[in-house]
Amino acid sequence: MSNDQGFMKALKCRECGREYPLEATHVCEFDFGPLEVVYDYDKIKKSLTRKQIESRPQTMWRYRELLPVAGEPTVGFQVGYTPLVKADRLAKRLGIRELWIKNDTVNYPTLSFKDRVVSVALSRSRELGFKTVACASTGNLANSVAANAASAGLEAYVFIPSDLEHSKIVNSLVYAANVVGIKGHYDEVNRLCAEIAGKYGWAFVNVNMRPYYAEGSKSMGFEIAEQLGWTVPQHTVIPMASGSLLTKVHKSYQEFCKLGLVKETPWHIHGAQATGCSPISAAQKAGLDFFKPVKPDTIAKSLAIGTPADGFYSLRVMKDTNGHAEDVTDDEIREGIRLLAECEGIFCETAGGVTVGVAKKLIAQGKIPADDSAVLCITGNGLKTVDAIQNHVGKPQEIRPSLREFESILSPKQRSEVKA
Amino acid sequence: MPAKKKSAKKTSAAKNTSEHRRLWLMYPPRLIQTPIIWELGGKFELITNVRQASVNDEIGIVCLELSGKREDIKSAIKWLEKKGVSVEPVEINVLES
Repeated sequence: MSNDQGFMKALKCRECGREYPLEATHVCEFDFGPLEVVYDYDKIKKSLTRKQIESRPQTMWRYRELLPVAGEPTVGFQVGYTPLVKADRLAKRLGIRELWIKNDTVNYPTLSFKDRVVSVALSRSRELGFKTVACASTGNLANSVAANAASAGLEAYVFIPSDLEHSKIVNSLVYAANVVGIKGHYDEVNRLCAEIAGKYGWAFVNVNMRPYYAEGSKSMGFEIAEQLGWTVPQHTVIPMASGSLLTKVHKSYQEFCKLGLVKETPWHIHGAQATGCSPISAAQKAGLDFFKPVKPDTIAKSLAIGTPADGFYSLRVMKDTNGHAEDVTDDEIREGIRLLAECEGIFCETAGGVTVGVAKKLIAQGKIPADDSAVLCITGNGLKTVDAIQNHVGKPQEIRPSLREFESILSPKQRSEVKA
Repeated sequence: MPAKKKSAKKTSAAKNTSEHRRLWLMYPPRLIQTPIIWELGGKFELITNVRQASVNDEIGIVCLELSGKREDIKSAIKWLEKKGVSVEPVEINVLES
């Protein structure tokens, strides 16, 4: 990577198509539309082959030509390439021929897919000369920015609502980030953070660095396709908060097809939300191409965005790929978490319960045909949202230190397994 | 005491500085026929500049730039919210999980 652009060409407005230099900027000055990174695919095609990718370390950076950094990455070298688990037991329970779990519950270092977007944003921030990085977050993003900034020696500011649970704050404070609690309701916190991002010369990962940050999500789609033997899955079920992950996984499949790295076969992108915050799924089910903002009320806090920035684009992707959206109640979310844990030994956060619950519904409705193959994107670890499930998993059976008492709680079948 | 006066002056100067704010306004159906932006222009000393807009039977969405004194912008946002208009920064989801 010899120049200051690498394989990137420009930032481009998703609304009007106007192009901008590859700087720390995120909206079009003309219509305030969001900016997106565009690449020089002819140049990439000359240098990126399956063989070359396979020869590289197993991290998300093996696709670096398709990620928005000009030179070599400098933050988050070990992020990504999480397991794609063949979930036969869960497939049987949900009634589908083949099922895969893209398991970002074990993504490095903070156990959520946010490490993908943050390592891209921070690598690019360094290239652009920033020394201080920031974000506004209620959980996973804050943890990831704090951890990745610490390992890169960057100063980090993390803005949170002041009433956030202490356990979530500890996960940022421990990395010595500057954590600032803001009093006020969601909209006020949101607006103040946008103002701070505009006023200070910092790399705000999900504001002025957003075009680069969002591209990190593509790595999840690249990995899925490679791990399936260079094939795009028939169905991908993706949780939706802002909707960005869904649009970027779709973009990743398109880019692999464009570069000839996979054969172009039809794929369907499905979106998953919690019923207590389902602006995108409600719009998709009603056949609308716009969403109506809602006030979130769900245990799936990591998906609780009532006005999703990429809602419109997510609806378009689902329409273009003949995909569907569904939503699940809090009880169905907990059931989804338990199903994944009981069948596959994977403990996911509430967003994962949403994805499993929605997949179950879509399969039962025939929207994902039982004879097909599907991938579920599981984006965060269950240890992050233990409070959501702790009163719903039963309690240990207590006994006194007595063999007789132990045997009294066994079933007749278990008792018969005593050694001869 | 003089120091106090100086700081008061400084605060007042900051309040009078002209700023630009980029916002998404989302109107519920009952407000779609109300000339909200015209009313806002009459009530506050602000320059309004619409950059995008989309209106249908169920929602009105306007991308608006407001320019003027910081305090007037803050008051205008409060007034809009009181009217029932949802006001988001142009970035929308700054606060993520």
